[in-house]
Amino acid sequence: MAEELQQPQCLIVADADVLIRNALAEYLRHCGYKVFEAATSDEVVTALEEGAVEIDALLADASLSGSLNAFELRIWVKQTYPDVEIVLAGNIDSAAKAAGHLCDEGPHLARPYDPESVAAHIKRLLASSRRRHL
Amino acid sequence: MRNQVILFVEDELLIRFVLADALRDVGYDVVEAATGEEALDILDSPPVIDLIITDVRMPGQVDGLQVARRSKGLAPARPVIICSAHLLKSEASPADEFLAKPYTVADLLEATARLIGDPWQKNSNSHSA
Repeated sequence: MAEELQQPQCLIVADADVLIRNALAEYLRHCGYKVFEAATSDEVVTALEEGAVEIDALLADASLSGSLNAFELRIWVKQTYPDVEIVLAGNIDSAAKAAGHLCDEGPHLARPYDPESVAAHIKRLLASSRRRHL
Repeated sequence: MRNQVILFVEDELLIRFVLADALRDVGYDVVEAATGEEALDILDSPPVIDLIITDVRMPGQVDGLQVARRSKGLAPARPVIICSAHLLKSEASPADEFLAKPYTVADLLEATARLIGDPWQKNSNSHSA
C-alpha cells in the first residue's frame, strides 16, 4: 500500500530583526517544519487573512512592530484563529528555547542541534553586525 | 556538498512566501529579506550567498538596484536577478538576468537554474552516476 504523504506542519517566525528571524526559521526548517518569515505584525495578519498558507503555530518576538503590537497580535490570533499555537519570546534565549520546544513537538521529533547553539549563533551575528555599524 | 543559497528580497509578503517556498522545494536554500536594508544586513553577515533575487521598489531607503550594486561591489562574480514591474531591462544595469513582472514561478526557476544550476538535476545526476 502506498504510504500516505503527510503535509509538513507550517509555522510563521515573526521578528523585525532579519538576522534573528532567518536563524530561527532555518533551525525550525532543519526540524522539519515549513517555515514562513514575517517582519511585522501586519505581515502576520496578511498571511493569515489571505489564507495563502495554513499555519499551525506562530513564534513571534514580544517587541514585534506593526499596526498591532505582539500582545495585541496574540489576542487577535487567539480570537480569529483559535487553532494556531502562539509563542511570544522576549529575548533571543527565550526565542531559541521556544524554537527548541517546537522542535521537540515537531515533525521529526528530534533536534538537529541544541537551541542554545542557535541563541549563541544569533548573538554572534548581532555582535558582528553591531561592530560593523559602529 | 552544501546547497546553493539564494537571498530573496521582496517586500510583497505573499510573493515572497510563494516564491521562496518554490525555490526551497526544488532544493535551494533561501534567505528572505523584506526590505533593501534587511538585504544589506544579510550581505554584511557571514552566511554565504550564491545568488541574489531582488525586487526594485521597496519601502525604506534602499532599493533593489542599490542591493545589486552592493553585491557586485562585494562579490563581482555573484549573479543577480532583478525583478521589476517598472524598469526596462536596459535600466536594470547590475543585473545578470532581468524578469519583468508579472513573471511565473517557472520563469524564476529557469532564470535561477541558468545562473547557478539546477539542484534537482544535480541530485538526479549524482544518483544515477
